[in-house]
Amino acid sequence: MAAEVKAEFGARMWLVEVMGKRHSYVAGDRDDSFLPPQVVGLNERYALVSGDWEKIPEKRKRDIIESLRAILIRQ
Amino acid sequence: MLAALTKKEKDWVDQVIREDEIEKYMIGGRDFIDDEEIWEKIRLNTRPDKSRIREIIAKSMSITLLDPDETAALLNVEDPELWQEMFAAAAEVKRKVYDNRIVTFAPLYGGDLCVNNCLYCGFRRENTVIKRRVLTLEELRRETEVLAGEIGHKRIILVYGEHPATDARFIADAIRAIYDVKVKTKKGYGQIRRVNVNIAPLSVDDLRLLREVGIGTYQVFQETYHHDTYRRLHPAGTLKSHYQWRLYCHHRALEAGVDDVALGALFGLYDWRFEVMGLLYHARDLERQFGIGPHTISFPRLEPAANTPFIQESRYKVSDEDFKKLIAVIRLSVPYTGMILTARESARMRRETIPIGITQTDASTKIGIGAYADRYTEQESERQQFLLGDTRSLDEVIRELAQMGYITSFCTAGYRCGRTGDRIMTLLKTGKEAVFCKLNAVLTFREWLDDFASPETKREGEKVIEKEMAEIRERMPENVYLKLLEYYDRIKDGERDLYF
Repeated sequence: MAAEVKAEFGARMWLVEVMGKRHSYVAGDRDDSFLPPQVVGLNERYALVSGDWEKIPEKRKRDIIESLRAILIRQ
Repeated sequence: MLAALTKKEKDWVDQVIREDEIEKYMIGGRDFIDDEEIWEKIRLNTRPDKSRIREIIAKSMSITLLDPDETAALLNVEDPELWQEMFAAAAEVKRKVYDNRIVTFAPLYGGDLCVNNCLYCGFRRENTVIKRRVLTLEELRRETEVLAGEIGHKRIILVYGEHPATDARFIADAIRAIYDVKVKTKKGYGQIRRVNVNIAPLSVDDLRLLREVGIGTYQVFQETYHHDTYRRLHPAGTLKSHYQWRLYCHHRALEAGVDDVALGALFGLYDWRFEVMGLLYHARDLERQFGIGPHTISFPRLEPAANTPFIQESRYKVSDEDFKKLIAVIRLSVPYTGMILTARESARMRRETIPIGITQTDASTKIGIGAYADRYTEQESERQQFLLGDTRSLDEVIRELAQMGYITSFCTAGYRCGRTGDRIMTLLKTGKEAVFCKLNAVLTFREWLDDFASPETKREGEKVIEKEMAEIRERMPENVYLKLLEYYDRIKDGERDLYF
């Protein structure tokens, strides 16, 4: 999914596991745009991080977040 | 003769080591340190010619982990001019990976109870002159209030001996207590944003416990990589006598998802060249098995400790000249790693070695149990593991770093936004982390100057910030620079903890 978003919008995003202050990298883009990372919580345990949210159309952003939340609920 | 453990201590000791959490990482029943092989590499690479050394330096400059023959060749250089080239290259590697920032932190000793009896350690069980104490959570909070609210630290390393009273559960509570402290400062608030730990080797389950409370880096020093020396210094029957349990604790941490691990050796226990090779082999095995190398490497030298004659008697003590060499060789051998120089060293040695490739150092350091809140000014050997070489304040150290052209950074951003594990490794190896280092150094330095600096240090700091801002404006895309300006102004107005 991160690769698709990068190819389509040039936006980098990655999934992290949240443990207190620690946000450990799980998957997604390893590169960075050097803009401040904005963290969007998916559930209590996982979050999606990107410095490029403004590059992604609002509807697509919502779809990405919802589909990841659905995957996490299924697990 | 070892003093007897209590039944509670003995029961606890008996259940700590899990052989299955060692053997699974070994190959053919052997660990990755082959003493004979290391000495053979050192012997086979004597008198390396200049062109080979320059090729190795070029490899380091491409931020690539060296192989053992290459490190052995560097260790064997005798030509003083070539050493000067290596020192310069080490400095350049550091600048490429981390830019000109130095991160500062403070150690926080939470307790000195220990079931072990290591010959070189002031906290060894049989050392009766040491005053034993474990800080309560309330006492830890008071220490944190001084560190975060009066000195201005944002990052600490929490240190404990190995003892059932300070087991993983206790340490997890301690970390939570430290993270919870928030203190009002002149213009904003102070808080510890990253708690690293220097503690005993733990099981995977215990490491998961620490991961859950958000630890920063898990730091464990092997002390010596030389098997026989390890055996002699850690008496049989003690928990620490198990070489492989210690050697593979970083592997367990990575398996538990603690993806920032830190290595170290205590220089002065055995031949320094062997220990440098040991650190390299350790980094290589972590990369081989997990794709993640050491977040930092430490290289403390033996320092005097109360009632610990071994330290004066060791024949492997490292001279100042060799100390500089080992720093350069580690920097060139593991180019992406952070390198920590501590207040064990004198102010003079710190001045001389920081330019060789150091990335982190401590200041306003107190290592007595409860020493920050007690505010004692003289070192007290009976409440310290060893004696410090540099007790200068953070303000003094920062001022000196600024005069040397370094920007002090209190950045703790990486592990709070997923720049951890193999992602941080990628960013380090491609030189991209240096960009974050600079941006976040400017922002966190601004915070510290406004909240804690003396007028004199503030003046020096302002000069550094001005130079850094000009450099960022020239080097970075406009949108990044504009964002930095926005964050910088917000911090000047009292907002805190904004980062890239």
